[in-house]
Amino acid sequence: MILINCPYCGEREQSEFTNGGEAHVIRPKDPDALNDKDWGQYVFYRSNPKGIFYERWVHSHGCRKWFNAVRDTSTDTILKIYKLTDNKPDISEFQNTLESPSGEPAVGSGNFAVKK
Amino acid sequence: MPALRNKNCNYISKKEIKITFDGKSYSAYEGDTIASALLRNNIRLIGRSFKYHRPRGIYTCGIEEPNALVQILNEHNEPNTRATVKRVYDGIKICSQNRWPSLSFDIGSINNILSPIFSAGFYYKTFMGPKGFWKKIYEPLIRRTAGLGKPPKNFRSKSIHQNHNIDILIVGGGLSGLIAARKLIGTDYEVLLIEQDSFLGGILKNSNKVKKVDGKNVFEWVKETEKLILESKNIKILKNTLVTTYNFTNHLIALEDKYAGKKIDINKSELILHKIRTTHTILANGHIERFISFRNNDLPGVMLASSFEKYIERYGVVADEKPVIFTNNSSTISLVKSLINLNCIPSAYIDSRKIDDIENDTKEYLSKNNIPFYPESEVEGCEGNKKVEKVYIRNSHNKISFINASMLCPSGGFNPDIHLFTQSKGLVKWDDKIISFKPDTAFQNTITLGSVSGNYEFKNLCKEINKKLSFLKASDLNLEIETNIRDDFSIKELWETKINKMSKWSKSFIDLHNDVTTKDLKQAINEGYDRIEHLKRYTTNSMGTDQGKISSINSLGIVSKILNKKISEVGTTTYRPPYAPLSFAAIAGRSTYEYYDPERKTPIHNWHIKNNAVFEDVGQWKRPWYFKRNETETMHQAVQRESRQTRKTAGILDGSTLGKIEIKGKDALEFMNLMYTNAFSKMKPMTSRYALMLGEDGMIMDDGIICKISDKHFIATTTSGGAPKVFAHMEEFLQTEWPHLQVYLNSITEQFTTFNISGPKAREIVGKVFSEIDFSNEKFPFMTFKTFNYKNTQARIMRASFTGELGYEIYISPQYALELWELIFKYGKDFDLVPYGTETMHLLRAEKGYVVIGQETDGTVTPIDINFNWMIGKKKKDFIGKRSLTRSDTAREDRKQLVGIVPLDKSQFIEEGQHIVECESLPSKIKKPIEYLGHISSSYHSPNLNHCISMAMIKSGNKLMGKKLFVSTPKGTKNIPIEIVSPVFIDPENKRLTS
Repeated sequence: MILINCPYCGEREQSEFTNGGEAHVIRPKDPDALNDKDWGQYVFYRSNPKGIFYERWVHSHGCRKWFNAVRDTSTDTILKIYKLTDNKPDISEFQNTLESPSGEPAVGSGNFAVKK
Repeated sequence: MPALRNKNCNYISKKEIKITFDGKSYSAYEGDTIASALLRNNIRLIGRSFKYHRPRGIYTCGIEEPNALVQILNEHNEPNTRATVKRVYDGIKICSQNRWPSLSFDIGSINNILSPIFSAGFYYKTFMGPKGFWKKIYEPLIRRTAGLGKPPKNFRSKSIHQNHNIDILIVGGGLSGLIAARKLIGTDYEVLLIEQDSFLGGILKNSNKVKKVDGKNVFEWVKETEKLILESKNIKILKNTLVTTYNFTNHLIALEDKYAGKKIDINKSELILHKIRTTHTILANGHIERFISFRNNDLPGVMLASSFEKYIERYGVVADEKPVIFTNNSSTISLVKSLINLNCIPSAYIDSRKIDDIENDTKEYLSKNNIPFYPESEVEGCEGNKKVEKVYIRNSHNKISFINASMLCPSGGFNPDIHLFTQSKGLVKWDDKIISFKPDTAFQNTITLGSVSGNYEFKNLCKEINKKLSFLKASDLNLEIETNIRDDFSIKELWETKINKMSKWSKSFIDLHNDVTTKDLKQAINEGYDRIEHLKRYTTNSMGTDQGKISSINSLGIVSKILNKKISEVGTTTYRPPYAPLSFAAIAGRSTYEYYDPERKTPIHNWHIKNNAVFEDVGQWKRPWYFKRNETETMHQAVQRESRQTRKTAGILDGSTLGKIEIKGKDALEFMNLMYTNAFSKMKPMTSRYALMLGEDGMIMDDGIICKISDKHFIATTTSGGAPKVFAHMEEFLQTEWPHLQVYLNSITEQFTTFNISGPKAREIVGKVFSEIDFSNEKFPFMTFKTFNYKNTQARIMRASFTGELGYEIYISPQYALELWELIFKYGKDFDLVPYGTETMHLLRAEKGYVVIGQETDGTVTPIDINFNWMIGKKKKDFIGKRSLTRSDTAREDRKQLVGIVPLDKSQFIEEGQHIVECESLPSKIKKPIEYLGHISSSYHSPNLNHCISMAMIKSGNKLMGKKLFVSTPKGTKNIPIEIVSPVFIDPENKRLTS
C-alpha cells in the first residue's frame, strides 16, 4: 500500500485510487486509417518495464479525476505526479533506480537477498 | 500449589488463577503464558507432531515455538495457538492437538512406526496413482490426518484498524530499543515504540546476562526508562504488539492483542491492526536462538538453553533442577549462573568447542560449582518414553557414555532476527564471527541496532547506537552496561552431531514443526533438489507456521556441508510477510459479516418481503428472484406461473436497480455517438432507442435504452451490475481523450425508481393509473416517452419492452414509489397483474430471443456475433470499438454466433452450460478430445410454448439453421438430439410490441 498525492485532493491511501495502466497512449484520431496491426498495437499492447513507468491513475473514491504518475515499478516509489494537461516529464528527470540494492537484474525477478 | 522457584522474578504477578488443560484444572499465576503455567505444573508433554504424531513438549519461550501449539476451547475453539506466547487468565480452557483418543495414547503415532516410508517428497511420490485413488482414498485420508488443530466454531472475531503517521518507528522494546527511545525523548520527532511482550526490557528481563545499566539494577532501569518515555510528549509505547510486515515505502503492519492475559469480551474488538507510515524505521528486534540436530532432538524435555533461562528470569519457573546443558558458544554460561543462583546444579555442561577456546571464566566457574564438564564433546542423542530420560554424550575421544537426566538444553548460537529487515528488501551478509546472516545494506530508511545488527557485545552498544542515530542530531547517551558474563562472543560451527544409529525410529530433526529430518535434506539433495528454494518445497522444511525460526539457518549449514559450498553461496530462502501468523479477522477489520459489502435495496423492498419474494444478489443489489405464492410452491412453479400470467394479462417488475446516467451539455450528441454503436443524430427528441456499448476491442460491454430529450440532453440506462463501470468508462474518455467536449454526467440511478409493466393488459392498467395521459398507439407509439409531473416531482413513462410484450417503463421519484406501486396493484387486480422477479424476466427475454449481457455475452462477443448488425451506426465515422469490428479476427465468419435451440423430443430439458457436439453419445472412455461446437448460454422451460427453449453460442451458427445436432447432459453419456432454430421463439414479427 502506497500513498498517492492526488494533484486535486492531496496525499491519500492507494485504496482510494484505481490504476489505469500505461499513460501517454493516445487514441488514434482516425482509426480507419490504421491497418489491423497498428490498431491492434493501440488496443492490446502496453509496455511493462521493470523500473521507470509512466502510468495513469484515477482518484475513484475521491474527486474521480484522472492524472498521470511516474513510478519505479521495482521499488513502488512514485517519482512524480502530474496533471493530464502537463507535458510528459523527460526520463532524464528521474534517477535510474532500476537496480535494486540486491543487484537484481533489470528484467525478471530473483531472490538475491544475500550480498555477494 | 505450583512453586515459584525464582522468587526474585519481578515480572510475574503473585495472583493465583485456575486454568484447564485437557480437562484437568491447574493453578497458575496471572501473567503466565500457557507454557510457563504448564511447566510450573511439571507438564512436559503438550502435543503430537504434524506428520509422525511424535510426542512433543515446549521447545522455546516465545514466538519461535515449533512444537507447543494448542487449541483454546473458550475462544471460538481457536486452533494452533502458541502456548509460549498466549497468556492465560482465570478460567481459560486449553486442549492439546493432533492426538486421538488422548495425548499420551495417540493412534496416529503409528505414523512414527511407518516413518521409514514417509520420507522427503512422500506426498509427491506416493499419491500419483492408480487412477481414482486420489478422490476415494488419498484425499479423505490426508484431509483427516493433516493439519494440527480443529477449525474454530461459531467464529466471530472483531478487530479494528488504526493508522499512524510518524517520524520514527522503533521495533522492539529491549535494551537497544529503550536506549534509542531514551535518546529521542524530548526531540521534535514523533516516535512509536512497539514491543511484542507485555513488559519492556527484552534481554534484561529474559536472562541473567546484564547485571546493571547506568549503575542501576536492570529492573529499576527499565522502570525508570519507561516512566521517562511515558512522560515525554513525543513517544508512544504499544505493548503486546507484534510487527508482522515491513512493506515498501516504510509502511509497516503491527498487530496488537488488546486482550493479552484477559478474557475476551465478545462485544469488543480483541485485535487492533496498526498500519504505520514512518520516515525512519529502527529495527531493534533482537535475535533468536537456534537449535542443534541430534538423535531424538524432539523429545519432550529438550528446550533451548536461553528459553530455559527466560522461563527462570521472566516467569520465575525452573522447568528442571538438574538439566543437561549442551552448547557450541560462550553465552550459555549465563543459564548456569541463573541456576546456581537458585541452588540448582546442572547435571552436565557439554561444550563442543575446543578446551583452549572455552573462556577461562567459564571453566573456573564450572569447576568451582562442581558441575560435570564435557569440553570438545557433543550430545549424540537422547532417549526416553515420551520424555527425556537418558542423554548420550560423545566425548573428545569419540567415546559414548550416558547420563540420566530429564531435561536437555541445547544452544546452537544466535541468529539476528533479520526477517523484517529482509522483508524491507535490505541485503544480508554472512558473518563468520557469529556464524549467521546479519543485515548489510538497507534498502529503505532502515536502521538496525543491537543484536539484530549482529552486535552481540554490550560494551559497544551505546557507541553503535550513538553512531547509527547521529543523523537524528539527538544528544549522545553513554550508559555503562555491566554484565554477568564475558562480553565477547565466541562460537564454533555445529549444525548436527554425529549420530550412532540406534533404531529405525530415532530421528534427528531439522524442522520440528513439519517433521523434517536431516536425512530428508540429504535424500532431497541426492534426488537433485540442491537449490535451497526447491529443497524447501520438496521437503517442506521451514514451511510450518513458525517459518523455521530456530532451524532455517541450520538447514542452510547442513546443505552447504553436503554441497561443499559456502553458506553465503547456498543463499537464504525468501523471507515473506507476515513474520508470525495473523488471523484473517485482523486483516479484515470492520469489513466483515454484514459490513463486508453494502447491501442496496429498492424503495419497494419491504413490499417484496411482505409478498414472499425470494431475493437474488445482483452486484450489491437485492432483487426479487421470484415470488412464492404459498409455502409449497417451488421456484419452478412460481416462475412458470409468473411467466404465463405476464403473457396472458400483465406482469410488473421492480427495475429500480437499472443504472441511470444523465448526459447533458453542448456536445452531448457527439459524445453519445462516440460512446455507443447506434446513430443518435437523426433520432427525434422524446424517442428512445436500445443501444450497445462496446469496448475498444469491439466486444460488447453493456446495453441499455437511451432516451433523447434533445441533442444536448440524454438519459441512458445500463445493466444493474454494469452501472459503475459504464459511468467510469464515460468519465475516463471525457477526461482523457475528449476533454474538449462540453459534457456533464450525472448518476441518477437512485433518484428514480423504475417499474416495468408488460403484457397485453398493460395499457389498460397504466391508463387507469395515469388517467390524464393518452396511451393510445397513435399518441404513444413504441420507443417514445413522455415526461410529466407527479405530485410536484418529475416523472417519466417510456413505452419499451423488456419481455416482448406491450410494455411501459415508469420512472418515479423514490418518495412516491411505494404508493404508486400499490396504486398500480389496486388497478391491476382486475387484470390479475402479477409481480415477477429476475428469473421470470430472464425466461421472458429468452422466449423473445433478447440477450442478457453477461449471460449470452462474456467479453468475447461482438454485436455481429449476436445478429445485432442493425444496431451499428455504419455511417458514423467513429465510435469506441468500431475499428475493431473489421479486424481480421473479429470479422471471421466462423466465430461463435447466437442461435436458438429446441430439443427434438419436446419432453427433454437442456441444461445451461452444456456442450453442443456432433455425436449421439459419448464413449464411456474418452480417448481423444471430442470436438466442441459451442455451449448453451440460456435454457428455460417455456410455459407459453410448453417445451424447453435454449440459446447457444455456436461456431458458424448463422449457417447452421435447421441443422440437427446433440447437446451433452450433466450425467450419463447419452446426448440430447436438438435442432438449431432462430433464437426468437415468440412473436417474431414484433406485433405485440408495436400494436
